[in-house]
Amino acid sequence: MDFFTDGFWVISVMFFTIALKKDKNKVKESIKKTRGMMTNMIGDIIGIIFLIGLLLTFIPPETLKSVLGSNNILISSLIAALVGGVTIIPAFVAFPLVGSFVDAGASIVPGVAFLTTLTMVGFVTFPLEKKEFGIKFAIYRNALSFVFALFIALMMGVVLT
Amino acid sequence: MKLIKKNKIPFLVLLTYSALLIFKTEIAFKAFDNSSYYLFEMFQILPVIFMLAVAIDVLIPKEWIMKRLGNNSGISGGVLALIFGSISAGPIYAAFPITKMLHKKGASVNNIVIILSAWAVIKVPMLANEAKFLGIDFMIVRWVLTVISILFMGWFMNKLKIEIKGNEEKVENNLYINEDYCIGCGVCHNIAPKLYHMKDGKAYIEKPISDIYNYQDVSIHVITQTVEKCPSKAIIIKNMKETI
Repeated sequence: MDFFTDGFWVISVMFFTIALKKDKNKVKESIKKTRGMMTNMIGDIIGIIFLIGLLLTFIPPETLKSVLGSNNILISSLIAALVGGVTIIPAFVAFPLVGSFVDAGASIVPGVAFLTTLTMVGFVTFPLEKKEFGIKFAIYRNALSFVFALFIALMMGVVLT
Repeated sequence: MKLIKKNKIPFLVLLTYSALLIFKTEIAFKAFDNSSYYLFEMFQILPVIFMLAVAIDVLIPKEWIMKRLGNNSGISGGVLALIFGSISAGPIYAAFPITKMLHKKGASVNNIVIILSAWAVIKVPMLANEAKFLGIDFMIVRWVLTVISILFMGWFMNKLKIEIKGNEEKVENNLYINEDYCIGCGVCHNIAPKLYHMKDGKAYIEKPISDIYNYQDVSIHVITQTVEKCPSKAIIIKNMKETI
């Protein structure tokens, strides 16, 4: 567990205890409600996690090299953003990976596009988002995130070169 | 069949794994192995999310969330949403229950988008990691651009009037209280305290009730009694059957 997850635990336990002290019955009521909401999601979450495992097996992070290293920046950025939206790899793997390309002389633009869609656009979690927030919300949020990932990437290319 | 229809994703994934296990055992094991990291992450974070959702529900009053994160919370609401999303931990799906809870308590779509996006992209420990591998300039510029984009996205989705509508909210509601008529006398609450609650001088029903004839906590006779006793006739039954 990293430091932040620990902190998150500590804070949550603290607030939960305060809530218990304040109003036990209300906590009981709320637990019922929240448990219903979470059990609704948990099957999908576990399904998605195993789907991620499959994706990682068929598209290992190393294959990204061919995507990020392409010559045409616009096209490779677009593809990088698409790949980032579809895959989910841990950010602590993604940063060194992109870092190694930039060190090797590749443009940062596709790398940034990839890093941003990786976390903000969730193709794999889309069904869950749709279920919880509605299809219109999920489509707009993901589409906008995709467009803005490209915007961020292009701006970075302008600012940092 | 209903179970499969309700759990399409896990079912399809299970099917794929079963097929792989038969035809390409090695790949199935490798995929399973790759999943374990995320599975571990989930078990680390879900209890926290659960406790936090309950704590927010109990400790933070609806009025506070409406004022701070609601439609009229303005820039300070956006900043609060941004900070809240940034300091939290866990993958984006962990944000779903929390943001839903906040939305139910009055947080605007604008701020929900900000929390979700910040939760996904801006993670303080990740920023350190990014600076380490890509340089501090890189990290700072990307952070600034991302924050601008997230704030704009929230504003834009609000402008488009996109609503949040989950699946479970489609339950047809057949019993409700007309708030304009309710005078807050508390008669209904006294007759059926499990069903009617009082808040700010008005009666309210906690969750939508589709079948009032087979409602587990309160019998239909008690419900019709409250309808009759209500002095301002504010309790309304929809799709009422002719004979009871």
